[in-house]
Amino acid sequence: MLTLASKLKRDDGGKTGRASGASDSTHRVSIRDRLLTKEVSELEAHLPSTCKASFPDEDKLHHFQLAVSPDEGYYQSGRFQFEIDVPEAYNMVPPKVRCLTRIWHPNITENGEICLSLLREHSIDGTGWAPTRTLKDVVWGLNSLFTDLLNFDDPLNIDAAEHHLRDKEDFRNKVQDYVKHYAR
Amino acid sequence: MDDGDEPPIVLSHNTSLSSKSGGDKMFSLKKWNAVAMWSWDVECDTCAICRVQVMDACLRCQAENKQEDCVVVWGECNHSFHNCCMSLWVKQNNRCPLCQQDWVVQRIGK
Repeated sequence: MLTLASKLKRDDGGKTGRASGASDSTHRVSIRDRLLTKEVSELEAHLPSTCKASFPDEDKLHHFQLAVSPDEGYYQSGRFQFEIDVPEAYNMVPPKVRCLTRIWHPNITENGEICLSLLREHSIDGTGWAPTRTLKDVVWGLNSLFTDLLNFDDPLNIDAAEHHLRDKEDFRNKVQDYVKHYAR
Repeated sequence: MDDGDEPPIVLSHNTSLSSKSGGDKMFSLKKWNAVAMWSWDVECDTCAICRVQVMDACLRCQAENKQEDCVVVWGECNHSFHNCCMSLWVKQNNRCPLCQQDWVVQRIGK
């Protein structure tokens, strides 16, 4: 029967040989970059149909853009660009995300700041960033800001949320105006 | 293994019954392969923080060639991580990143 103890013994035996050579050559690669190699390929394999990721520099997996083109709801027919920067301390800290496209949205300011719980570094409840999350979760979260996670009750752009509360049709018109001007 | 492997077992059982009563054998089972799964006796065998098996050294220790010092930590919630991975995380948030319970160390070792 296989036991943990015998596996450990076997690992110890095999380790001495490969340890020195392998780790020297990979030493300069940061933890972030090692995590990202896996996460980026996983992300690209499971990208929602409304999203497109682009890497301006293929050697920098920590910097990329995401275009979200919602296929339903208020933001349909718009194309919204996000810029994602993954800090060196990843995955202890969340990626930094900004919205590059001007937008009328309760959870995104006109300057591009985003209110998405999983991007929050310090949160008291379990909805904030945790190292168990991956880029895939971030992209799905951003994509959902236009559908399921669109939240008028806890707004970052309070004017937009109040606008929606006051007059939903007028809110829709303003959203589509912004789409016409900025999100094509 | 393909999907067709399980049904024949059931069918052959039926067949043997019918062959006893009627002797009219439609088909017989010639061969079947049993498949077994196994895993280590720990609840999570991959560290959810660095995504390396907890019984191997974590990403950091591999990079710094400190494989021998890399140990496993179990919380009272029974989730396990590399001790180095977890000690970095609890500095920020003293909760288990998997179940969000307050993090209390149950055991450190291998």
